[in-house]
Amino acid sequence: MTNDIAIMADPDTVTGFMLGGIKSGFPVHDEEEARTTLKQLVDDDYSIIITTEKIGDELREDITKYTESKALPMIIEVPDKSGSHKRESDPMNELIKRVIGVEMVK
Amino acid sequence: MANEQLDGVNPTRMELLDLKDRAKLAQKGHSLLKEKRDALIKEFFEILERVQGSRDEVEKKLEIAYAELNKAQVDMGDMAVKRAALSVRESVELDISSRSIMGVSVPVVKSVAKENNVLTRGYGFSETSVNLDIAAKEFEECIKIIIELGEIEKTIILLASEVEATKRRVNALEHVVIPRILNTVKFIEMRLEEMERESFVRLKVIKKSMEAKEE
Repeated sequence: MTNDIAIMADPDTVTGFMLGGIKSGFPVHDEEEARTTLKQLVDDDYSIIITTEKIGDELREDITKYTESKALPMIIEVPDKSGSHKRESDPMNELIKRVIGVEMVK
Repeated sequence: MANEQLDGVNPTRMELLDLKDRAKLAQKGHSLLKEKRDALIKEFFEILERVQGSRDEVEKKLEIAYAELNKAQVDMGDMAVKRAALSVRESVELDISSRSIMGVSVPVVKSVAKENNVLTRGYGFSETSVNLDIAAKEFEECIKIIIELGEIEKTIILLASEVEATKRRVNALEHVVIPRILNTVKFIEMRLEEMERESFVRLKVIKKSMEAKEE
């Protein structure tokens, strides 16, 4: 298991994070490219994969498949440079609602 | 539902004893699982409190970082920033282990952030601007808290699925398995009593007919 972080996002975001000291940057341009890149990253045993909320929403099913059962990799979704967009459903809140049975209003 | 029983059970004493043992076991399992569920939910709530604050912080920090990056790009041009980014040295080292919460192993990330300053980041001075330095610093801080957020979110995801599974098991035991066994126990007991009464009556009849014969 490698202890590596990868960033997969739009080119600008990747540049930013690489500036912050992440060596493995993978700029992607469309959904298909993101999907194959994500698969590649998971296969390569990256333990933390940072991506944007936009990509996260597009690849929701793939991400769930990779993350729900195993401890690694962690796939973390962060806002891109257009800021955090209002999501129809925040996957975290959705999950919490399912488990607890009531919505946690915060 | 209320009168459901196990299939293929013969009303014998052996089966009855067997089933009583099974009922006891199921009830024990049920109460243990219930305790596990309660403990998991308690853990879950504790972590929930941490996640919300964390996410807000990441969003706020990233906004600042993107703004700085933008400035640097305006100063130096897109390509130059990219070039500089490619030569930045790695700033975080990860040490990932796991701990176990009620049998769920969750990751624990220890990130060692190397304190980089302008000199050690790895890009040259001549082509870079002050804004690039600020942007790099902001992103370094962001990465640190993003990793923490990732750990918490991952823990929540793993705990959540375990809570769900445990809940389902508790409910299955409580509403299906245990009532079924108890119903079957009752059925066998009633059946055995019925058989006893039958044989009692049969003996009575035989006795009567024998007495009638003797006279």
